[in-house]
Amino acid sequence: MKKILNVLIMLMIFVSISSLAIADESEEENETEEEYETEDLEIDNDTKKEIEIMNYSLGAEIRLLQLQKAIIKNLLKGEMAAEVLKALDYNTTTLELILSEMKILLEDVKAVNASSNNSVQIFVELKYQAKNLTRQFRETIKDLLDGEKLNEIRERIKEMVSEEVQNYSKQIRNRIKQFNRNRLYQLYGLIGEANNSFINEYLNGNITLDQLKYHLCKTINHMNRERKYEIFSEIKKENIKKKINAQASINEMKNSEKGKGHGKGN
Amino acid sequence: MNKKIISIFSLLLIFISITLAYSYHTYNTNEQQYNSPIQTITDDSISEEIDESFIEEDDEIEIGEMV
Repeated sequence: MKKILNVLIMLMIFVSISSLAIADESEEENETEEEYETEDLEIDNDTKKEIEIMNYSLGAEIRLLQLQKAIIKNLLKGEMAAEVLKALDYNTTTLELILSEMKILLEDVKAVNASSNNSVQIFVELKYQAKNLTRQFRETIKDLLDGEKLNEIRERIKEMVSEEVQNYSKQIRNRIKQFNRNRLYQLYGLIGEANNSFINEYLNGNITLDQLKYHLCKTINHMNRERKYEIFSEIKKENIKKKINAQASINEMKNSEKGKGHGKGN
Repeated sequence: MNKKIISIFSLLLIFISITLAYSYHTYNTNEQQYNSPIQTITDDSISEEIDESFIEEDDEIEIGEMV
């Protein structure tokens, strides 16, 4: 009888230990998932995607120009809205203060060196500030006006045409074309078919990027299985590398933030 | 008496074999997930990777609306 009891106790211990181990493991997994989720909330997916090309200095230049354009657009819209409010005898002091902060921010973005090692970090911080100032302006104006007046101002702003913004658009488009040209040379290099005429046609605006992409897909699809796999892997490797670099920059940012946080605590 | 001991032992044996079988299965599934190469490359997967290599010319950064 004693033997049976011993065996039963052993069995119970074994069952409880294994269930504890399983529970602990799944808890650990949940914790890790939660950690990743919280980290993901800090930098939004759009920004994550945007910084992927910033490993190339041309890519960093494009993102900084795009940020400048977005700030200028909002500055002009904000100035226009403030003018309208001023004419209607509203107190625009807070709005003007936000706009002057935005102007300083624009100068900061213009001063960033696209080739510097910390351009990604600076870009993320400045974009965050730009979003924050935009939100502050939007909330302030919302407190001043009713829905009808807000819609009126929205309509007026929509019609706004600015030469400065158009110049930025042209500059950005040219840089993007240069970036895409570099990628095209790289891809055609992989394929082993230097299709200069196609690239020139794209640069001259005779064919679109979509047509070029279609041509590339068709060329790769006509290859034999091994070659197709080889090229696909190379392209994928390059894309994964961009993502890894972006994630590394994000991690670096988070670590330096943590460092600052600990510093404050001390 | 002996019958009882035998039945408890057989229960224990069944339990252990189930645990072992489960862990072996989990290990194998994980191994497969990490090691399996991409067997089939579809037209879509190629076009997705190519899309990711380029930037759209009308690409913009959104920081929100002022009003």
